Amino acid sequence: MRSRFDEQLELLNTELVRMGSLCEEAIALAAKALMQGDAELAQRIKPIERDIDAKERDIENLSMKMLLHQQPVAKDLRSISSAMKMITDMERIGDQAADIGEIIGFLGDKRTDEFELICDMARASIGMVTKSIDAFVKRDVEIAESVIKSDDIVDNTFTQVKKALTLMIKNNPDDGEYALDLLMIAKYFERIGDHAVNVAEWVEYSVSGIYKGEQSI
Amino acid sequence: MTKKIFNSIFCATLAVLLISTVFIGSVLYSYFGNMQRDALAEQTGIVAAEYEKNGEAYLTAFSSQSYRITLISSDGTVLFDSVKDATALENHLGREEVTQALAEDSGSSERFSDTLLEKTYYNAKKLSNGNIIRVSHTKSSVYSLLIGLLQPIAAVLLVAFILSFVLSHRLSNHIVKPLENLDLEHPLENDTYDELSAVLSKIERQRKTLLKREDELKQKNDEFSAVTENMNEGLILIGTDSEIISINSAARKIFLAERDCIGRNIITVNRSPEFTDVAGKCIKGKSSDCLLTIYGHEYQVNANPVMIDEKAAGACILIFDITEKSRNERIRREFTANVSHELKTPLHSIMGAAELLKNGIVKPEDEKQFAGRIYDEASRLVTLVEDIIRLSQLDEGVITEKESVNLTEVAKEAADSVKEEAASRNITVAVSGADVQISGIKRLVYEIAYNLCDNAVRYNNENGSVKIEIESTQSGAVLSVSDSGIGIPEDSLERIFERFYRVDKSHSRETGGTGLGLSIVKHAAEYLGAEITVSSTLGKGTRISVLFPKI
Repeated sequence: MRSRFDEQLELLNTELVRMGSLCEEAIALAAKALMQGDAELAQRIKPIERDIDAKERDIENLSMKMLLHQQPVAKDLRSISSAMKMITDMERIGDQAADIGEIIGFLGDKRTDEFELICDMARASIGMVTKSIDAFVKRDVEIAESVIKSDDIVDNTFTQVKKALTLMIKNNPDDGEYALDLLMIAKYFERIGDHAVNVAEWVEYSVSGIYKGEQSI
Repeated sequence: MTKKIFNSIFCATLAVLLISTVFIGSVLYSYFGNMQRDALAEQTGIVAAEYEKNGEAYLTAFSSQSYRITLISSDGTVLFDSVKDATALENHLGREEVTQALAEDSGSSERFSDTLLEKTYYNAKKLSNGNIIRVSHTKSSVYSLLIGLLQPIAAVLLVAFILSFVLSHRLSNHIVKPLENLDLEHPLENDTYDELSAVLSKIERQRKTLLKREDELKQKNDEFSAVTENMNEGLILIGTDSEIISINSAARKIFLAERDCIGRNIITVNRSPEFTDVAGKCIKGKSSDCLLTIYGHEYQVNANPVMIDEKAAGACILIFDITEKSRNERIRREFTANVSHELKTPLHSIMGAAELLKNGIVKPEDEKQFAGRIYDEASRLVTLVEDIIRLSQLDEGVITEKESVNLTEVAKEAADSVKEEAASRNITVAVSGADVQISGIKRLVYEIAYNLCDNAVRYNNENGSVKIEIESTQSGAVLSVSDSGIGIPEDSLERIFERFYRVDKSHSRETGGTGLGLSIVKHAAEYLGAEITVSSTLGKGTRISVLFPKI
């Protein structure tokens, strides 16, 4: 009985890594499509996003089954409950990557300085997602903490982008639509960063039993 | 074991108790029954005799509680009964003892009461007048005896139970103790039941074989890991569920994985789609490969299934670092493209000038100028081809005996060759330092010194200076050439030794270099075992030092 439970835990672990890898792929594609202005590349995000959704349901089913049949306690219970929380965040990352892909279709080939800032954001948020999944794979609280800290970088860049875009609209009202599209993309990347932080927090919880730096009970 | 012993003892006790009770009971019962019958026959004889002597009066006087006397006429009518009213009793002719007595003078029989709890013995005797006298006596039956025995039997059972319990506990402890204390690590040293010695010696034999197997296995494992751990290539073995069976240190280094990843899914080591795809394919029995880029290094991944009985039992994944290889590949591609370009450009000039001359378009007074251009470009081509030949000679590694070379002399020679060019741009060239002998090949040392001086002049500003210093240090002789020229940007420092690499691509042709000079320096230095260090400040100048090994 016990070994079956261990097998299921390992399966849950593997499936989570696989889902994380899909998320990485989706947002890497989104960033690449954005930087190269390639709307066709952006089209390829949609199927990945559907895969991510399917994975979410699979993992949810598996977790529920394990909770009901095996009634885990302590660390195992933490692993499963944090897995269920993590997949929600990962699914959101996939959605947002797909949303970015949609907007890229409207952008065209225009390149401005603000665009470079957004590319920086894209790189930073990809790094955060990759690191948060690394933290999960290695059960490494230190990596998780570095993800949580690096959210500030993305947030700051977002503020810069916002200011730059406000100026842009003020100076060239004709570029308004373009500026708003860029703002949306920037916001999505900022959200992806937040979700990566959430994932990292759940990793911390599942390893140490402490959520968001609270005292353990 | 205790339970089993308890059960056996208790059952045995119970069986013995039951059998003996039944046996003794039945023997006693039949013995007492016979005694009863004999006593009753005797009593009947006495009563009959008394009755014949004394008549009816004896019967009425006889008031024994334990005996019942009945007088029956020969037709069966009851004439007298000591217990009941004679007239109320039915005809007794059918009674067994009466019938018997009528026929044989005396008879006897016994009957159970309605409840079976009592048994009545009858004895009848024929009197001289033909009447029959019958005496009966009632006793409790074997069943009532049994019911009466129930309590004592229960008590005995309880005692047997307790006794069995205590006994079995003690016995089993006593029997089991030597078994519990068996030392299975040294089976033959045990002093225990003889019956166990066969088992123990078998255990000893198996233990020895196991130990031997374990040793063999460990040795094989050690051999395997010694081989794989020392490989430069990463090696991962996975099972059918994609779980890692073995991962060598090179692979761990490549994927930054810990040792504890053994037993976990391969996806935890690298989760890139290409890699998981390759791993997934080959555990299904298909070989495949892919390229991976991890932390700036390029890797070639080859995965092959491990087939046992035509079924994939796992896979073997090899990872090669091809960063250097693909860099060399790139350099080679660039070299070919550059060579063709560099060769083509002067040829175009030559062809253009020659065509004009051929068609007679050129004015006679300009012919000299055109011929001069053809000569210049052709000599440029010759220099280029010479450089390429020199480089390829170095590439081929044409081995010449090393000799003693005077570094200072060679440096002075090289400085002389560039003096003319330097003077035309008002650049001073100065050689300083003591005589230093090194072991090397004069031609190659000159090549190094000349190319460094040539570059120092070529990429210098007008009125600049070139300093050539020679010094002897502990680690060897150093030749340094420093200039006051344009300098090299930091991001190009690594690439200046590549063939045809130009820092400023747009102005390279004006300077007239071939782009192969430093490449030759690098190769020659490598050939001589010398080390090159470059330091440069953009706009201020460059210093290149070559450290020749000690003799």
